[in-house]
Amino acid sequence: MGELDYVGKRIPRKDGPDKVTGRAVYTVDLQLKNMLVGRILRSPHAHARIVHIDTERALQVPGVKAIITGQDTLGIKHGFVETPRYPADQYVLAMDTVRFVGEEVAAVAATNLYAADEALRLIEVTYEPLPAVFDPEAAMLPGAPEIHSTHPKVKENLVNIGGKTTSQWGDVEAGFEEADHVREDRFESHLRTHGYLEPQVTVASYEQDGKLNVWTSSQGPFLKRAKLAKTLGLPFSSVRVQKAYVGGAFGGKIDLFSHEFCAAALSMKTARPVKITTTREEIFSAYRHGQPLIVTLRTGVKKDGTLVAQQIKTINNAGAYRSSGVVVIFLAWGFAMIPYRIPNLKYEGYSVYTNNSPRTPQRGHGAPQIRFAVESQLDMIAEDLGLDPIDIRMKNARNSGETLPNGDNVHNCGLKDCIRAIVEHTQFKTKFGRQPSGKEGRYRKGIGIGVSSYFGGSLIYPNSSSVSVKMNDDGSATLLTGALDIGQGAETIHSQIVAEELKIPMEEIQVVAADTETTPVDIGSWISGNAYVCGNATRVAAMDVRQQLFELAARELEANIEDLEVKDKAVYVKGSPSESLSYRELVALSILKRRGDPVIGNGHWRTMRDTPTHPSLATTKGRWSENYAFDAQTAEVEVDTETGKVRLLKAVTAHDCGFPINPMLVEGQIDGQVSMALGHAFMEEVMMERGRTLNPNWLDYRMPTIRSIAESEHLDVITEQYRIGEPYRTKEVGEGYVSAILAAIANAIYDAVGVRLFETPFTPEKILRGLGKIK
Amino acid sequence: MGTTHRKQLLSLSVNGEIYELAVECQETLLEVLRDRLGLTGTKEGCGTGECGSCTVLLDGEPILACLMLALDCENKEIETIEGLARGGRLTQIQESFLDKGGVQCGFCTPGMVMASTALLKRNPNPNREDVMESLEGHLCRCTGYNKIMESVLDAAKSCSEKG
Repeated sequence: MGELDYVGKRIPRKDGPDKVTGRAVYTVDLQLKNMLVGRILRSPHAHARIVHIDTERALQVPGVKAIITGQDTLGIKHGFVETPRYPADQYVLAMDTVRFVGEEVAAVAATNLYAADEALRLIEVTYEPLPAVFDPEAAMLPGAPEIHSTHPKVKENLVNIGGKTTSQWGDVEAGFEEADHVREDRFESHLRTHGYLEPQVTVASYEQDGKLNVWTSSQGPFLKRAKLAKTLGLPFSSVRVQKAYVGGAFGGKIDLFSHEFCAAALSMKTARPVKITTTREEIFSAYRHGQPLIVTLRTGVKKDGTLVAQQIKTINNAGAYRSSGVVVIFLAWGFAMIPYRIPNLKYEGYSVYTNNSPRTPQRGHGAPQIRFAVESQLDMIAEDLGLDPIDIRMKNARNSGETLPNGDNVHNCGLKDCIRAIVEHTQFKTKFGRQPSGKEGRYRKGIGIGVSSYFGGSLIYPNSSSVSVKMNDDGSATLLTGALDIGQGAETIHSQIVAEELKIPMEEIQVVAADTETTPVDIGSWISGNAYVCGNATRVAAMDVRQQLFELAARELEANIEDLEVKDKAVYVKGSPSESLSYRELVALSILKRRGDPVIGNGHWRTMRDTPTHPSLATTKGRWSENYAFDAQTAEVEVDTETGKVRLLKAVTAHDCGFPINPMLVEGQIDGQVSMALGHAFMEEVMMERGRTLNPNWLDYRMPTIRSIAESEHLDVITEQYRIGEPYRTKEVGEGYVSAILAAIANAIYDAVGVRLFETPFTPEKILRGLGKIK
Repeated sequence: MGTTHRKQLLSLSVNGEIYELAVECQETLLEVLRDRLGLTGTKEGCGTGECGSCTVLLDGEPILACLMLALDCENKEIETIEGLARGGRLTQIQESFLDKGGVQCGFCTPGMVMASTALLKRNPNPNREDVMESLEGHLCRCTGYNKIMESVLDAAKSCSEKG
């Protein structure tokens, strides 16, 4: 049915006018009447027993209204993962032990920041320092300081193991026997942070009627509500988390944070609103960063490049609590197994406690680390065997309809088309290889490729999305969605879907979003499923409205529903333009004839609807996603052989995101990811020494600026379609494109100067060492 | 403690309006704009002059409001993001940021738009290098800057076409 007027179009953001005029209100902008300011006291020790906390002097500071410590809480633990196997392991405020520098020990609410800071100085904490360990491989060895007991199911002579993922299929030993060539390499990635511009910030207001209102810079209000309610001992009905604009998140604002709990608890204690805004130094020093992985990769291939066996071991430096450490070792397996057929595989991933700040998902969540390893090694194997890097990828790349080892199907898989498109577009084969042109002299150019795949939504709380579309008397519509727009454009694309299904102009669709009290539940803006899961729920809700309008119109116009169509906010009988009823007329008719019903449509969507829950993090068994996006990326670099500096001249992304609901937003996602990967490759590193951050600011932690802009080109490989009135299977675009490009850069550097890099970041020192110019 | 600091009277001109204030000597222009005047369109990303989010125009020149003491702004004309769209009519730069996808999360946007406004006033036909020079002190984590570059160049082009 019908041509598309809204979906697939470059429609400007719904929230754009608010954002370009400064009217958009972020959590950091909220000022409630009579509001107090909160601050958090943090541990200066990486590992210590808390002997005593004395808050008496601090409470005397004029303006200080309340101080809480762990003893004032219910002592309920929380965790990024809370399952029977991996129960919560972190307190909202330390009880008797601190396990990382920056761990939250107490919180103060005061009438002004100066008083709050003065109180922090006057809280006396007596610590008994304990031995600490920071390197994950050292932390695993018997005799290392124990941060938490090794997980009871990991029956190995190792300590500090928070969790382990194992997976295998085929017969990996037989596979290696069969191989003509085997390589084993070790790859390491480094610590980076999200770099969201809006700091972590929460406003909590406990009302007289027992309702806790919360605004917090997050990636979805429903998970925050669940965790706040749990740790505060409140029913969900007493906690309302409401929308404010979010100034970036990138995985760093998903989980419950201590400051959110503290703002709420302090508001409950003082009966006044409390706001806690973190400083940038606090974020760098005490908040959660991404997850470096150590990857040992052993791969066996036939002479012709066919992969026959792969053995992968990953070690994750999880920090002081389990957090998402046991998720990233699962995901690293997943991102290793999607793009290529590997008949025999054995995977072991260890998540290791150390006395660093706990870790959290960061855009790509394991994919950049594992794809860097796999794609770098594949180029090495190709060279060992005298094969072309494109041919070896095409030989092993999955085809449409293939079933993955976990039982998922890749459906329409555009991977090979992505590789073909990018090779042609970049003229890869003429540029790649040690040809004299551009390879002599001080500046040398190279090109490299990588591929990746990313899942689109899985079953993690809140699992699903529900949406309502309300018709207004004048024929305009209101969309009620729990989805939180964190910059990706959620409100815009869901409005486009309503506009398309009902043919109502974008400007006549109002969005009420991300409020646990007034909007239905939403899967959240972190599991790469928003466009697919919430989008389909939105589509179903809009279809429900359309069906109701059709039924009303069919009766009134004495027509069959099949003969009706919508356009210009009206229902028409196909082929006879004079027979029509406007939405305004139909809503009035509905109210008249359906006992006041103003036409409200509801829609729900859950991915893998016959699957009870998420796959096992420990065994990888169970379905993971019904939706896999694929991409190939190339990097063209220029290496200065005198200084070792590398410039990314051009990045090309050929991507199968199904179809773009809004091409402008998709391009924005790709460009942002290319830029983030550029920072990953060359610039960004959180430097830590014994758990302390040495560069807790943006002068010393360098993120890309407009000066480091990379030319970024996009090639769409369309594998799915949007058809009005039918389910669609668009794929994710929010985090899958930070990975292959990283490997492509490493491979391009090798192509340019013959230096193979096994560790990120790709610093001038490493290049010069590789060139033999420094030791 | 802060509450005991002596305050000084300050007459501040923001977006053409005069505000009479009593401020402490250590208060920054950013604190006064956001906390006292409620002009929260100007953002604080770091508070230490590293991200550019707090950029406003002081006598037409872009400055970092987080590093500027409010008392030093006496007798100067301050322009913030709230002052651009007169009567709700967006400026060409604001329009171009919308049309070209220069906005994602929007937190850096007010600073970017203010710096771009100053650039186009000074140089109506900037090239890419000019844009880089004007915006290199502004961090954006969402866009990779490509569409911000496109937005500014589009604004310049549209302005010159409209004459």
